[in-house]
Amino acid sequence: MTKGKKPSESYVGKSVRAKEARAPLIGKAKYTNDYSFEGQLYAYILRSPHAAAKINSVDLSGAKKISGVHLALCGRDVFEHTNGITDHLNPAIFGGKSTRLPIMAVDEAWCYGQPVAIVIAEDERTARYAASRIQVDYTPKEPVVDAEKAIAKGARSVVPEWDDNVLIYVPFMNGDTQAAFDQADKIVTTDVKIHRFSSQPMETRCYNAVWEHDTESITLYGTCQNPHPLRLVLAETLRMNENKIRIIASTIGGAFGLKMHGHPEEPLICLMTKLIRRPVKWVENREECLLIGAREQQHKVEMAFDSDGNMTGLRDHFLANIGAPSACPGWGMAFLTGLTMPGPYKVENIDVHMNAVTTNKPSWNAARGYGKESTAIALELAMDNAARQFGISPIDLRLKNFITKEQFPYPSPTGLVYDSGDYGGVLLKALETIGYEDWKDKQKAALAEGRHIGIGMAFELTPEGGTIPGTMVAGYDSSSVRVGPDGTVRVLTGITSPGTHNGTAIAQIVADELGIDMDRIEVLQGDTNSSPYGFGNYSGRSTIVGGGSAALAAKDVRDKINAVAAALLEVEIDTLSLSEGVFSSSDNGDATVTFAEVCYASYTRAYDVAMCIDPPLEATRTFKPPGISHLPDENGRINPYPSYSNAVYVVVCEVDTETGKIDLLSLAAAHDCGKVINPILVEGQVCGAFAMGLGGALTEDVQYDANGVQLTKSFKDYVMLRMADMPLVGMAHHDSPNPDNYLGLKGAGEAGVGGSAAALVNAVNNALEPLEVVIHEMPLTPSRVWSAIQNANNSEGVK
Amino acid sequence: MSLHPMYARPRNLEQASELLASLSSGAVIIAGGQEIMPYINYGVMMPDVYVDIGGIDALRGVSAETDEVSIGPLTVHRDIQNVEEIVERLPLLAYAAKQIGGGMQVHNRGTIGGNIVAMHPLYDVAPALLALEAEVELLSEKGSQRMSLSELQDLSNHGLGTSSILTKILVKPMSPTTLWGYYKLKNSAGAYGSANAAVVIQLDGENIKSIRVAIGAATEKVVVVSGNLDSYLGGPYSSEVGLAIQKTCSDAIGEPLSDQQGDGVWRKAMAGVAARRATEMALGKLNNSSSKG
Ligand SMILES: Cc1cc2nc3c(=O)[nH]c(=O)nc-3n(C[C@H](O)[C@H](O)[C@H](O)COP(=O)(O)OP(=O)(O)OC[C@H]3O[C@@H](n4cnc5c(N)ncnc54)[C@H](O)[C@@H]3O)c2cc1C
Repeated sequence: MTKGKKPSESYVGKSVRAKEARAPLIGKAKYTNDYSFEGQLYAYILRSPHAAAKINSVDLSGAKKISGVHLALCGRDVFEHTNGITDHLNPAIFGGKSTRLPIMAVDEAWCYGQPVAIVIAEDERTARYAASRIQVDYTPKEPVVDAEKAIAKGARSVVPEWDDNVLIYVPFMNGDTQAAFDQADKIVTTDVKIHRFSSQPMETRCYNAVWEHDTESITLYGTCQNPHPLRLVLAETLRMNENKIRIIASTIGGAFGLKMHGHPEEPLICLMTKLIRRPVKWVENREECLLIGAREQQHKVEMAFDSDGNMTGLRDHFLANIGAPSACPGWGMAFLTGLTMPGPYKVENIDVHMNAVTTNKPSWNAARGYGKESTAIALELAMDNAARQFGISPIDLRLKNFITKEQFPYPSPTGLVYDSGDYGGVLLKALETIGYEDWKDKQKAALAEGRHIGIGMAFELTPEGGTIPGTMVAGYDSSSVRVGPDGTVRVLTGITSPGTHNGTAIAQIVADELGIDMDRIEVLQGDTNSSPYGFGNYSGRSTIVGGGSAALAAKDVRDKINAVAAALLEVEIDTLSLSEGVFSSSDNGDATVTFAEVCYASYTRAYDVAMCIDPPLEATRTFKPPGISHLPDENGRINPYPSYSNAVYVVVCEVDTETGKIDLLSLAAAHDCGKVINPILVEGQVCGAFAMGLGGALTEDVQYDANGVQLTKSFKDYVMLRMADMPLVGMAHHDSPNPDNYLGLKGAGEAGVGGSAAALVNAVNNALEPLEVVIHEMPLTPSRVWSAIQNANNSEGVK
Repeated sequence: MSLHPMYARPRNLEQASELLASLSSGAVIIAGGQEIMPYINYGVMMPDVYVDIGGIDALRGVSAETDEVSIGPLTVHRDIQNVEEIVERLPLLAYAAKQIGGGMQVHNRGTIGGNIVAMHPLYDVAPALLALEAEVELLSEKGSQRMSLSELQDLSNHGLGTSSILTKILVKPMSPTTLWGYYKLKNSAGAYGSANAAVVIQLDGENIKSIRVAIGAATEKVVVVSGNLDSYLGGPYSSEVGLAIQKTCSDAIGEPLSDQQGDGVWRKAMAGVAARRATEMALGKLNNSSSKG
């Protein structure tokens, strides 16, 4: 093998500025909404104002009369032209229920905000105005809003043909949990309530469907994370051939899972262009974006401990209020919450039951963490609760119960196989990063002045790169590397970027493999007509499989280039070296040839010096992470994840006990995502995760009234944290490389929402310990914290 | 409701007033647009005519006489925060304007007139102006009219309708010995206030000579508490007096607001806390860590 760049010149491991960041920063990024075409039309979707209602009639005549309106359709009209939307993840595969998922409500609306009619007009205002002229006659029904009530005897089924509202029930059982509880020295019960909070990308969803007259096909410019799988869904739903659909996923202004497909607007806008044969665009507004739910779970975590504080049994029967049926993969979050129990703890006796409950609330979609954040919240709140009850330090209790370094690969009681890690090491590093002992002193000093500072920590295990057999959630992915005759490179990937700049990380990897400058590399993603078939981004997979496959392809191309270089210099390949774009040989004195000359020769001298290769300088390769196993073990369990990232988050805050307001004082994280390709990219993700998790724990909350009508409609009520709320994040990396993946990658980017949220709640409870106040219900709004303090004061008074 | 609205930009007050009188209820005055544009963008409002008052010079500028500061309603928040006449003579108002959220754009475009006319209970300008006993001048078809801001607040629930223009805000300058405080309790940096209290105090030696508190974000309208505080006059401030002021102010909140930032019980209690903290700020007793609103 030839030497490439000297190791000191390698890009991997360096904080290289993101290539893709320039355009958004200077306002030149081309987001989906920036595409407009001749004859562009606009859609407005009329939505149900009721959570549950019979639709008696839809009168579109008022809308059709408005000048500038091209088309107005109701749910039934759309139904005639389409099939039900293909599930992203069909619950029936896992033993759950399924139903036909119409694009718009037909005869019956099953949640607030469900599409009921659509208007296409010359401009957005006209479409919206015309939609206000549509008369829909509803007979409202008593909605099913609450998960507990939804599974109570006699509850009305949200989907009439179902016997009950449980979309799917999955038990995760191992060992003899009952015995563990019977013999326990101490049992700690923690009721954890996680509210509905989602992810709110700055760029809302947008679809612009263009009819291509020449090929009688559709090009969809869309905010989507998985262009190829979406293409199949569209083909099936629209009754078209898949090869008549092209998807272009342009720059994405944040995705977080919310732009994974299954949304009714995707086939709906395509159908419009198919019917009208003009480009049709729809842009989601913030109120619509807030309809997409996630994470609303109720846990009852019971932990059994022996007298030494070893956890011997874990029980958690939890409910997830997943809303109305949907083709989006949101419900799977609840599944993963169960599957990833008991997280980092070595307890073997577990009895975890997951009930994903269908209600008349709007449905979930995937949200960063994909259920694993809820596992972290439930477990870590419970661990702190246990430590409090034992009167021991939350650090010691965790260290005692963590899986140890030597135990990897570790088979989890739900069938997962954790690849590697040093959980205790990560915890200690995070505490060191924040200056734990210092803060303990400051806490004591503050308390003496009547101020309440709290320090909280939480662990999050984040399996990454997941795949589910029989679905388009695949574990592998492919990339092409194409080196042109001038020696510049195009990398095309099947993965896409949700705005995390994985293209830069992939360019770093390819530059190192080819031994050339990074600025000679362009990474192209998201166009189904040019990218290799791929599955896009989810589950922190993009650098593992996108980077891994690009590395393999680059190696193949490099072999061809080496062969031609050797032929040109008339030397053996293993005598070559490449430095600063110039090949030389230890066997041929001063003779040199540039990388670009070799590439040109590879294209132009196919019948003499380049006879040794098959032109062009291109290769497409796939990386299939070997850690995944879909072959069931003796208990029928599989390991759908190739890697298990993990991290510890620490939060220091002060609670103003007079108002209940929480001020953040300091934040830190120690993170194990295997080999770090680019520290600034990883750290950026961790900071973002902190902002999302803390925002969720403190303020972000999508509320509905008792009738299932959405109350939270804008950023006035859904308040995300701002720079001014956030202290700087102290970051430490604690890599334990994945033994199987390229460069030891584990995946970064998805982790942190649950860990940071749980650390905040733990910090607040730590701050309030002197007042004997404990809160396990999120979000920790000032009024909730204040009420808890008042109640404690009052009961004090009664004593 | 109109799909094809018209736009007018009158050049003087007479034109504007005549135009408004001639138009039906579909007309809307627009100043900085920071209030109504979000509604229009969301399709909640579809006016027939926009009457842009931005071209009327008479509505601009700040002038200070010995006994009155006159503020043109088109003065934007950024200027309220920085103009010398206001910073020196009405420091409470300048400080309250700094607490307005929404970032640079809102500060550079949003006007004090628009803020007052919107009569939104969560806003920051009205508590400060009510604590300062400000007056306003209105122009309608019937002519010009001057009244206290407090009267205007009692008269109307939502703005001035489409027939009147707010032409001036008039405030007596604060004397250099006037003590003042403003405390905005908000859940996070991006949230509206949940209790906004403005306080103006005069001392006679150590003793409180007068105290006036205005509390926003607690009820539909800004609540002014002054007479109820009379029992604390004539004596010095103490922490007991502070707690008593807190209770009196909290008790003054009749039907508290309840929104996603917090429920009514908490809101009512916080009105008192904010009032006490604003008072402590005025008296220089609030430490810096808890005064950052
Ligand atoms: C993101 C955001 C955050 C904000 N946060 C805060 C905050 O924290 N605190 C706060 O106090 N405010 C806040 N605001 C509100 C902002 O201060 C006001 O919207 C702004 O001051 C309104 O002024 P404008 O000139 O832009 O009003 P416009 O939108 O132009 O008008 C507002 C209303 O007043 C009427 N109007 C305007 N001028 C006159 C006049 N001279 N005579 C008669 N009628 C008139 C208009 O017809 C309209 O009804 C926020 C706004 C935004 C968008």
